[in-house]
Amino acid sequence: MLRRSFTAVLEKNTLLRDYFETEPYEAGWATEARWFVRVLEVEGDGELRVHPQISPDGLHWCDEGSNPLRITGRGLESLPLTNFGSWLRLQGEFVGGLDSVRVLIYLALKG
Amino acid sequence: MSRAVPPPDRLPGSDLRLSKYNPLPRILFFDDFDEGMNGWCELVGNHAGDLGDIRQIARDFRPPQLSSCTFFDIGTHGSLSGTYSLKLATRPWPNHLAVAIKRVTSAALGLVQFETYFAFKAEQVVPGGRAMPDLRSWDGNVAPSELQFGEITFSNDICSGDPRSRCHGVVRYRNTDTEGNLVQRWMYPTSAEPTTKMERQGLVSLDHPRVDFFSARPEDWAAVPGGRQPLCFNETASKVNWHYVRWLFDTENSRSVEFQCNDRVMDLRNVEVPVYDEAYHGLPNLLNFYMAVRTHTNVRNFLYLDSVLVSVDW
Repeated sequence: MLRRSFTAVLEKNTLLRDYFETEPYEAGWATEARWFVRVLEVEGDGELRVHPQISPDGLHWCDEGSNPLRITGRGLESLPLTNFGSWLRLQGEFVGGLDSVRVLIYLALKG
Repeated sequence: MSRAVPPPDRLPGSDLRLSKYNPLPRILFFDDFDEGMNGWCELVGNHAGDLGDIRQIARDFRPPQLSSCTFFDIGTHGSLSGTYSLKLATRPWPNHLAVAIKRVTSAALGLVQFETYFAFKAEQVVPGGRAMPDLRSWDGNVAPSELQFGEITFSNDICSGDPRSRCHGVVRYRNTDTEGNLVQRWMYPTSAEPTTKMERQGLVSLDHPRVDFFSARPEDWAAVPGGRQPLCFNETASKVNWHYVRWLFDTENSRSVEFQCNDRVMDLRNVEVPVYDEAYHGLPNLLNFYMAVRTHTNVRNFLYLDSVLVSVDW
């Protein structure tokens, strides 16, 4: 049997203006994951800092521990994960004078 | 006491995965979600490359998930057979709708039967968390969580015949109304689902924001005769009971035939299925299946499918 893979689009052309959390996504079947954040527009100076988080139940969350993505301009950034629990999400914070960011956020899973 | 002897082709051991279903002669597909998504994906509104052109109501139907039904109190519940089910999850926003779709075309006109085993739950709430209800009047049986679950919708998208005729057959289980009162009734729409073409060509009124994807106006729903049916929510948000559904549709005549949920069989032969007046390009032999879940509150709602079987008489 071939390995399974699935890519979920967690945010689609979404305009972020402040702290955010992506919706909880179940990934217990997968052994590896990679987040992609595609930045379409950036307004203001500063940085979008994006932390991967994990959860055993989709309700209670902690940082996964990887270094956060630090996004300052348009483009595509990614972040790999392994050895996670059953649930994944991203938490994002606006640092400095960042006003807004328009993004697509993908979660690519394999297992 | 005598026991009924099943016919040989229905013996439980003949196929353990299929014996819980009642297929027509040809199985078009059988989707066991322990094996993957099986082609069920997020529905997205039409666009020509610019995501900003997608209608507001069709921008955010959420990606489906493979769920192990894992909860904070018991851990993993699992599915009816195996570990995984297909999960549709809303955002925690009032009126948010999650929709998954599978796309096929038909090789002939005739009967198409959709069967599944489903379960429905509102997201668990915990003390101090969002939407925690007042439990002073909780009687230990009636689940406050049940009142936080909105509705489930099963739909198809058929384009058939000559000249091409397009329609959506739709059946909805309304668990609660938007005020949180239990309704527990199967419904059908009395207007056609407005399409991107209808909206862009001014064929549907946009005087008020669209709030119901499957009908033109939120009041355009009627009760299925005999369709009042309390389902087994079962007292606690982490108790998952699977329900059988069988929906028979006639693509030759663009009519629903009957809809069954557990022991309730509803005759839909006299229920009008709205057919579009305008023509649609690029959809010959279209045969799509949708499943949807909508929350009425700030609590995420989940629809779980253990498996899906679609069979035909052609």
